Formats: sequence, structure tokens, C-alpha cells
Amino acid sequence: MLRGRIKFIIAIAVIVVTLSYLVYGGVKEAKVYYLTVGELKEGVPSVYKDKVRVSGTVVPGSIKKDLDGSLEFKITDGEKTLDVHYKGIIPDIFKDEVEAVVEGVYTPENVFQASVLLAKCPTKYESLDRLEKGENI
Amino acid sequence: MVETGVISVFLSFIISVYILIASLAGGKTGRRELIKSAENGAVALFFLLTLACISLINALLTRDFSLKYVALNSSRDLSTIYTVTALWAGQAGSLLLWSWILSIYMALVVVLNRERNRGLMPFVLGVLAAVSCFFTYLIGFVESPFERLPFVPADGNGLNPILQNPYMAIHPVTLYIGYVGITVPFAFALGALISGRLGDEWIRISRAWTIFCWTFLSLGLLLGARWAYLELGWGGYWAWDPVENAAFMPWLVATAFLHSVMIQEKKGMLKKWNMALVILTFFLAIFGTFITRSGIISSVHSFAQSDIGPYFLAFIGVILLFSFGMFILRLDDLKSEDHFDSILSRESAFLFNNLIFLGAAFSVFLGTIFPILTEAIKGEKILVGPPYFNRVNVPMGLILILLMGVGPLISWRKASRQNLTRNFLYPTIFGLLTGIVLFILGIREIVALVSFGLCAFVSATVFTEFFRGVRVRSSRGENYMIALYRLISRNRRRYGGYIVHLGVVLIVIGITASSAFVTQKEATLKRGETLSIGKYTMRFDQLRRYSTPAKDGTAATLTVFNREKEIGSMVPEKNLYKYEGNREINQETEVALRSTFKDDLYVILTGVDDTGAANFRVLINPMVSWIWAGGVVLLLGAIVTMWPAGVERRAEAGARYSVGVSKDTIVKA
Repeated sequence: MLRGRIKFIIAIAVIVVTLSYLVYGGVKEAKVYYLTVGELKEGVPSVYKDKVRVSGTVVPGSIKKDLDGSLEFKITDGEKTLDVHYKGIIPDIFKDEVEAVVEGVYTPENVFQASVLLAKCPTKYESLDRLEKGENI
Repeated sequence: MVETGVISVFLSFIISVYILIASLAGGKTGRRELIKSAENGAVALFFLLTLACISLINALLTRDFSLKYVALNSSRDLSTIYTVTALWAGQAGSLLLWSWILSIYMALVVVLNRERNRGLMPFVLGVLAAVSCFFTYLIGFVESPFERLPFVPADGNGLNPILQNPYMAIHPVTLYIGYVGITVPFAFALGALISGRLGDEWIRISRAWTIFCWTFLSLGLLLGARWAYLELGWGGYWAWDPVENAAFMPWLVATAFLHSVMIQEKKGMLKKWNMALVILTFFLAIFGTFITRSGIISSVHSFAQSDIGPYFLAFIGVILLFSFGMFILRLDDLKSEDHFDSILSRESAFLFNNLIFLGAAFSVFLGTIFPILTEAIKGEKILVGPPYFNRVNVPMGLILILLMGVGPLISWRKASRQNLTRNFLYPTIFGLLTGIVLFILGIREIVALVSFGLCAFVSATVFTEFFRGVRVRSSRGENYMIALYRLISRNRRRYGGYIVHLGVVLIVIGITASSAFVTQKEATLKRGETLSIGKYTMRFDQLRRYSTPAKDGTAATLTVFNREKEIGSMVPEKNLYKYEGNREINQETEVALRSTFKDDLYVILTGVDDTGAANFRVLINPMVSWIWAGGVVLLLGAIVTMWPAGVERRAEAGARYSVGVSKDTIVKA
């Protein structure tokens, strides 16, 4: 009986330890700091090597698209702006003034090399504004 | 009609409160007429919320843009079908859908239990009503789908084009049927705790309802994955997005419950554990609704932020406090009737299965709320991406597949060497051989080899079971097909479960192959130029621009060759929605897909320029179709499991069902 119970305790402990190890290692490997443009600029120069995720609004007129999917644009938090280079799939909703989320590395040349680009729908309150404007015109 | 909706929602809240009070009071005092009246209230609630849904659909169909919800989620040019599905495109509408589906369940529970489970019912209904109070309060007073705008826009925003997809029309409803349905087993669990009737009554009903919800959750997850695959145009089907995780977590815990419940039915063990699992599943379903609907975690789904967050947090707090409070109060009544004998036994296999499902759910939970946690603790927002989830869940998944093969065939109490050899020798050899053959064929991905080997092992154990059952029956003179049919229909739960397992195996094979062996290529082509990937060659023939009232489309036609042989043409598109309104999403990528069980050829038109050159991204995703096929098999198995007993058996069912389900289907195992 006791021997049986010890076996169970060992087995459960193995599961728990394995899981903790996987979680710990996973977090270490995959963690990404989530910053605003301002926070990123404040973090210079220590932020240069880290993998970070930055969000900001796409500056109107700053998008330069190449046929092969490479992209240059600027995002802003209202005060500071950030130059972003990206190559890959461009989300359908990506355009001027959407909130973009980029993940990648900030290089000492002060260009953000993004490997991931996400775009978020603006909040509905802006949408309502526009509805109202549409009515006034 | 709008007033009808407003009044219906308001009355729904009042009636929910009434049901809550009347049924709890009735249960406490034993006054039949109070309980009866509460039950009639549940039916009334269903009619009222149905009326509210009809009102909103009517407002959508008649383009009543004075309603904020209609203005934000539809437009004049929207087709009828998507005008109806706009019912659940936005926040207020999906909360109404939540309440409505819950009311369907409440009415069903009442009707199905008119004669049965009378001791439990008042408390079960009380719990259901409490949940209904919360949701009807939200749609009545916080996020009303019938809120008016201070002005009437000429036209609405229109539905987000990526939601204009058949899968998007059915995926949310499927998921919601599962999600909301989890309230029912939770209500029975809590009803048992409140009433103190902790026998096998609640566990039997909770199990049946959980299978139903679990099936819909599984299908909802798969349909969502398929939608993402076809519509989002990035070539994959799962991204560990918070919203996906929100549906995945309750699925994991519900799966754990469906397995451990058998231990309680069969041996009277794990009672506390099962109770905790049901509560946890419901908590995760509400938590999932909360994170998808409150915008607290940034996600690509990114539903609008709103004021409902604090309400949800308060509600979650109340649920946890009350449920676990009652749980602790009744701890003494939840004692096990038996104990674990050996680590090599079916009980232990199920116990480990549960620990791992729960561990996986915990790790997904942790990864999902990681940004909130780190912000609260360290003041910096840190998130963990897909590598975290894969690193934790892939090994967990592999162990679960192993247990899926072991669990059903290992003996209860203590497995003897004889039992192990008899059941596992050939499947193990088969699994190992599969691994070795694949290695010789050139597969070097260790995870894929292990996964395929385990899948072969599980399939072999399942086929052995079917084979043995059929052989025994046919030795009594039955023809093979009849023997197979009777084998399954006389033991629906057991063989239905095996079929579900086979479905899962197919899904795992599809996931393994498509995540380990994807090839992709990108190229800019002028007309007449070709691109080769794997054994396929594609020739870019023409670019066609066209216009419809809704959009300007650009379609590229590619002729596809498999080695030398022409196998057809593919037409990926990139569309620009003209009529923008304020639809922020005005572009849409329409991928072209050529799907076989061997691989999917997936072509995305990423860009075109003025000279007529076009940029393509092409992926070969092996065996993705296996995932969808697995879904069909899983559904089939679930239906077998849930199929009601035949007429000849129904007569005896009443008496036998409570003790007999386990006797009939598990004892043999």
C-alpha cells in the first residue's frame, strides 16, 4: 500500500516537474517585451538586441509597398515615430491610421526590422464618429 | 419591433430573477407550485429571448440604422444571409446570442426533467437562472443590442469582409452551442452541491451534457481553424491567439472530465476531482467569453474594447467564491469509495490523462494571461508567443496520445503481465515498425516520428478491439457486417469513444505532417513565367480585373502542372471593397486552394503592380485534409456515443440506466 502510494507520488512529481520545466523553458525562449514606440525609444541602447513587440498607429502616407511584399512604414504613439521595415504577409486590414503591432528587433541604425506584422481594427467609437460625419456631409 | 425587443430583454431579466428566487425557495421549502411556476418561467424566458432575437434580426433585415448595432454591423448592400449572421458579428448581438442559447438549454432541461430528478431540479434551475440573470442584465442595461443612435446614418458600416464567409456564419454558433452548454453540467454539479444530493444522479446527467457540449466545442474549434486557413491567407490554421486559447481551455478541461467521470461511475472514486473539473470548465468558458469580449488581451481578433470587463470580473469572482465555498462545505460527502491499487491500471492511466490535460490547460491559461501577470507584477508587458505554447503542449500532446492507446485496454485495478502482453504486444510492434519505416523513408523530424509511431500504436489498439469483438460475435454465426453493427450498437459508449479516438488520431496526423513538413516559396512573375515548388509547377497566365457592385477584384490565373502533367488552374484573388463606409478592412485576400489527402497547394496573391507582374506566395501543406476528415470521424463517433438506446432497449432502460450504463459498456472493457 505504502509502496504503491510512493510510486504515485513519484509519477505525479515527474509530471509536475516536467511541466514546470517546459513552462519555464518556454517562457525563457519565447518571451517578447510589449512596448509602445515611446518606451522603445527610451530603452535605447539596451533594447537593441531584444526581441520586442511594438504597437503604434500607422502614420498616414508613410507606407511604401514593394511588389515582393517588402514594406516600409512609420508608426507613432502620438509623440515619437518609428521606422519599420518588414517583409512578409501583409494583413488585409493594414493601411494608414490603423493600429499596427510589429514584432522584431530594433537595430542600431534606428530601423525596426519586423518579422511579424499584425493590424488591429480600430475601436468602434471611431467608427461611430465616421458614421456621424457621413451623415453630415 | 424594436420596442418589442427592448421589452423582451427587460422582461427576460425580470423573469430570470424570478426563476432564481422561486426555484431556490421552492427547493428549500418543497412547495411544488413554486417549483412548477419557476419551470414555466424558464419556458417563458425562452419565448421572450427568441422574440428579442427575432426583433434584432428584423431590425437588421429592414436596415434600421437608427440602432447602433445595426448601423455598426450591417449595410444596405449586405446579402440576406450575412445580414442574419450579423446577429453575432458584434458584441451586444453575441451576448444576446449567449442569453438566447442559454434559454434554449434551460427550457430543454425543464422539459426533459419534468418527471425525473425532481430533488435536484429546483437547484439546477436556480443556478441556470443566476447565470441568465447576469447575461440578460448585460444586454438589458449595459450593452444593449437595441441601443439607439442620436442620429440616423444613411447607411451602416457593413459587415467586416473577412466575416463574410460560410464558415464564419456557422463557426461562432457551433462554438457557442458548446460554450454556453457547459452551463448545464455546471448547474447540475452545483445543484448537487446545494441540495446535498451527491449520488450518481448529477454525474450521469453532467456527463451526458458534457459529451454534447464537448462535441460542439470540438467542431467549433475545427471550423474556426478551417476558417482561418481559408480566409486569413497566412497559410496556417492555428496561431495560439488568445481568442483561440479561450475556446481551447474549456475543451481541455471538459475532455479531462469526460475521462475521469468514468472512474467515478465505475468505482466511486475521484468525486471531488470531478466536481472541481466541472466548476473549472464553466469558469474557463466564462473567462473565455470575458477575454474575447472585453479586449483585455491584445489579439488579432481584437474585438472592440468595452465596459463589460468589470462586470465579467465580478461575475467570475462570484462564481468561484460560491462554487468552491459550497464545494468545501460538502467535502465530507465527496469521499472516495475506493482507492488506487496500482500504477499499472486503468484508473491510473485516467488519472495521468487528467493531470496532463489539466497541466496543458494551465500552461495555456498562463501563456494567455502572461502579459497581464507581468504587467501587474513587474510593470512591463511581456508576452509569450507560439514557441512557448508549442514547446509545452507538443510533449504533453504526445504523452496523451500514448495514454489514448493504453487507457482503454489496460485492466482495472492492476494490470498483469499477461494483460499487457495480450493487449499491447502487437500494437507496440506496429507503432515501432511505423517509426522505423518512416525513418528509412527519410523522415528525420524526431517529433514527427514519435507522433506518427504513437498514432499507429493507438490505431492498432483500436482495430484490435473491433477485430476481437467482431470475431467473438461472428463465431456465434453472425455475418461480419452484422456482427460489427451489433457490436457498436450494443456498446455505443465504448465503441463510439473508440471512433472518437480514431478521429483524434487523424487530426493529430494532419497537424503533425502539416506543421513539420511545410514548404513555401515566394516569387514575382511576369505573364508566362513559371514557379516550381516540390513536384508542382505553376505558370502565371493572366491577370483579370473585374468589378462588382461591392468590390474591385483582381484575379490571377495560374495553370498548375504536377511534374509534366497539367492538373488544372488556380485563381487566387485580391479584392478591394469599393463601398468602404467605414469598414476599416477594405482589402481581402482570397487564397486559391487545391486540396488532396496527400497535400494542399495553397496560393496567395500578395501583390500586383502596374506592369501586370504579380507576386505570389505558394505553400505546400501536407495532409491538412486529414484534420478536417478527422473532425468528421470525431463527429460520427460522438453521435454513436450519444445516440439514444433503441426501442427494444428503451423499455428496460429506465431501471438499468442509472447503474447500467457502466455495467453495459464498461464492465466488458
